[in-house]
Amino acid sequence: AQAEDDEVAALIMPTNYIELGASYTSDSSAKFGEYTGLNDSGLDLIGNFNVSGGDAYGDGNGTTRWTVKGTDLGLTSRSLDASMSNQGKWNLEIGYDELRHNLTDGYQTPYLGKMGGNNFVLPATFGVVGGDTNSLSLDQQEAFHTVEVGTSRKNMSFRAGYIFNPQWDVKLDFNHLDQSGAKLMAFGTDPISGGDDEKVLVLPNPTNYQTDTVNLALNWKGDKGHVTGAYFGSFFRDGYRSVMFQNFMINNGGQEMTTPPSNDLHQLNLTGGYAFSPQTKLAGGLSYGRNTQNDAFVDSALMNGGLGNLPRSSLDGLVVTTHADLKLTNQTTKDLTLAAGITYNERNNKTDSVLYDFFSISGSNRGVYSNTPLSNRKTLVELSGDYRLDKNQHIRLDYNHEDVKRWCDKYAGNASTGITNANPPLGGPYTIYGANGNCVVATGSKDDKLGITYKLKASDDVNLNAGYSYSDRRTDSDPNAIVAMISRDGGSIAGINGGDYIGFYPYFDATRRQQLVKAGVNWQANDKLSLSFGGRYTNDDYYDSTYGVQKGNSWSLNLDVTYSLNENGSVSAYTTKQHREREMTNVQSSTTTPWNTWTNTLKDNDFTVGLGAKQGGLMGGKLELSGDLTYSLGETDYGTVLHYSTATPCTDPTQLTCGDLPTIYNRMIELKISGSYQVDKSAKVILGLIHKQLRSNDYFYNGYQYGYTPSSVLHTNQQSGSYSINAVAASYQYWFR
Amino acid sequence: DTPAAGAMSTAKDIVLRGDAKCTRCHDESDEPRILTIGLTRHGVKGDSRTPTCTSCHGDSDSHVDKTGSGDRPAPDRVFNKTTPADSKNAPCLSCHEKSFARTHWAGSAHQVNDVACVSCHGIHNNGHDKVREKRTQAEVCFTCHKEQRADSHKISHHPIGEGKVVCSDCHNPHGSAGPKLLKKNTVTETCTLCHAEKRGPFLWEHQPVSEDCTNCHTPHGSNITPLLKSRPPFLCQECHDAPHQAGNPVGPAAAGKYPGSPFTGSPSSGRTGRACLNCHVQIHGGNSPAGGYRQR
Repeated sequence: AQAEDDEVAALIMPTNYIELGASYTSDSSAKFGEYTGLNDSGLDLIGNFNVSGGDAYGDGNGTTRWTVKGTDLGLTSRSLDASMSNQGKWNLEIGYDELRHNLTDGYQTPYLGKMGGNNFVLPATFGVVGGDTNSLSLDQQEAFHTVEVGTSRKNMSFRAGYIFNPQWDVKLDFNHLDQSGAKLMAFGTDPISGGDDEKVLVLPNPTNYQTDTVNLALNWKGDKGHVTGAYFGSFFRDGYRSVMFQNFMINNGGQEMTTPPSNDLHQLNLTGGYAFSPQTKLAGGLSYGRNTQNDAFVDSALMNGGLGNLPRSSLDGLVVTTHADLKLTNQTTKDLTLAAGITYNERNNKTDSVLYDFFSISGSNRGVYSNTPLSNRKTLVELSGDYRLDKNQHIRLDYNHEDVKRWCDKYAGNASTGITNANPPLGGPYTIYGANGNCVVATGSKDDKLGITYKLKASDDVNLNAGYSYSDRRTDSDPNAIVAMISRDGGSIAGINGGDYIGFYPYFDATRRQQLVKAGVNWQANDKLSLSFGGRYTNDDYYDSTYGVQKGNSWSLNLDVTYSLNENGSVSAYTTKQHREREMTNVQSSTTTPWNTWTNTLKDNDFTVGLGAKQGGLMGGKLELSGDLTYSLGETDYGTVLHYSTATPCTDPTQLTCGDLPTIYNRMIELKISGSYQVDKSAKVILGLIHKQLRSNDYFYNGYQYGYTPSSVLHTNQQSGSYSINAVAASYQYWFR
Repeated sequence: DTPAAGAMSTAKDIVLRGDAKCTRCHDESDEPRILTIGLTRHGVKGDSRTPTCTSCHGDSDSHVDKTGSGDRPAPDRVFNKTTPADSKNAPCLSCHEKSFARTHWAGSAHQVNDVACVSCHGIHNNGHDKVREKRTQAEVCFTCHKEQRADSHKISHHPIGEGKVVCSDCHNPHGSAGPKLLKKNTVTETCTLCHAEKRGPFLWEHQPVSEDCTNCHTPHGSNITPLLKSRPPFLCQECHDAPHQAGNPVGPAAAGKYPGSPFTGSPSSGRTGRACLNCHVQIHGGNSPAGGYRQR
């Protein structure tokens, strides 16, 4: 009887554990330890625990439970959580979660300054780079040193809930995210005052951010319906306003780059559902949000030209977001399910449009520019019907219609002469965006999509599905749209088609036909063997775009096999092949009609294979083993073809404007083996091994190698993150109740 | 009384109210280990809302009262592969449907594709529901979402395999008003939950950014860092040609020079490395009045 009690207790009472151990990583690599904290070679502590209790466990009638849990305590991926609840009444949870994103350990710079800081200076003896950045003096070359760059996220959370009665409850979620560190970013600087030939360096751009997020929800539920009213707030604060750095080209003069402005989001949400009957249900929601940003503009002498005449001190930006959705579902007969829904989303940018003096990086005044606060509205209507042909067959039809509008409420200019005025005064705001004016080329679109899906249960062991969809998006375009970054005073860019040639449309809002085919089969061959096979193909045709993306397609195939060896063991394997391709046509800008065009093709091929095995019950039930092997190969190719002849052939080694770029190649192999041995009733020894290797060849880094950079770019000597690393771990896990 | 009824009268509930008539057979030796439901919230008997065995499996009188030889009839409701998804979901939704998280379940992608609650959730699963634990959630989702499984192994990825970002950080698998079962109403609202520095509003906006982050990024994994669909300058040229002769053809010279390179000309800072982003660095939006080209 005691043994039975013990066996029952083992199933219904929480098993607590404390695990301590160490891991050893053979080599240092930021990429290997990108998210795990295993970026440095050597020993790391393994620390995990989970302790639970409360009178709600066991055979009593208590309702209280608590848990304290720690994971990866010795690593920068650590987390710590505690919760307590009186189930049916209240609950409290606190949490801490840390994530270090190791970006690079091979970045080199001559600049001095703390990674994560916002002030970077050159060594006093560095001087200036007179001309070619590939011809540095020996002293300048020796000033380059390696800086590890990464960004850390520390998230603290608090959750609470209280149930007033069966109908009403309230929930609170609060998160405080603290970010530090930096991400690499290019910084342009001027070589010669008054020129436009920017010189480029790469610096750790600080991520000194704090984000507080709160969600307070009041829930009600009755016999047939439920409603949630909630307030959501998100408050982003940047600890810096800008990054100061010295010009490496002239006089080591001061330069300044802004960092993201602090912003707030307040959102009210109302969501609910109502069941008219068990067969007919209505669900919907409303949201209203105000996203504001009013950080003072960085107005210092270090900014380009001292900003000239600054018409206002901050943006006073306001975006109002509105959302509504409603969906009705009905299953009046067992065989037919119908659904109809509408979703409305609007982003209305209410920010004033004002005329600003724009200075190039060099400090030269490039004219008067107005900001264009972009707004858009998307309305989606969805209709669907699912009909059961018989007990083993379904057919489903879907129809979606999406209507998109884009506009600007305001566009600064001179009120008397409108947006074509040649010399408008600075300042504003103005609201003269007339009936004939647009701030985006694609002012709207209508997209109709029809889909059909068929499902067949061929037997208890075989399921098949197949589907096809066709969508046609027709876009309204205004080639005379005057968009952001178009000079208002006859500056350097012609104010047509957003500054791009007529016939050139951004792919994401261009007219497009899209077709999709997909199919899959699942087969449970016998008690031990199961297989699944599936695939998908899409084809995009941007038939109205003379330039820009013309067409694209993608396909994928998946195969999964699982075999059950016995009660405690199984092996599995999977493979996925993915292909993606897009073709775009561009037009050379320096020619006359008929314009010379060239085509670039992107081909992305990815292949993944995984093998897994696990076996328990070994050595009298004391030993469990598992292993996973993953192989992933990604290859991206670009090829360019010219449709015109040039005086110097495009294949000339000094030009190379046609042909294939070197393949972007990433091959990863990862082997994970782990085993746990039950020492006694309350202890396990766990051993683990990871072997992981990455072979990466990416031309991205060529332009940052000393001796090979563009003459205007300061090198970083970063390499693609290839590595071959072993990590072993051993730990002791003590269990108790 | 039947013998079974006699035994029941003396048996004691173990984990759920009224479970004695079930646990007299389905005891600690049963596989799967159904008693582990006691470790879950369903197993808190003091909470009057928690279910009994029959709440989900039905009264199952013929199963309980079976005497004599022959196969014992199955319980009224079982949760195996031959049971329709709607039938498997009914007992779960009877308690859980009327909640914020499941408001949009009816008509959602998972509902119409016959995904059952138990397709993802383990009810008797040793007290650990894999889909609700960070380390193991993706494994459950990847059972069906195989392209996303492959994407998660690409060189640029969110830390999904590392267990630091989970599918449910962005998606609500029970249905939502957003696209692709996203938690928030739009893609941009969802992404800026974590990437709030890109929310703005900015003085100089960039249309694809303000509309949909996935115009340029592919969130599940990419061969091109950081989670990009394509590499600048080609990515930029999908929407832009001018200015400053960006319309000139870009070929292998964009790979720059390197030992053994066939290119012997002068690499361009607008073509190599970050290409356009060597200068137009505030690509998500700039807030400097001087930075109309998103350079500052």
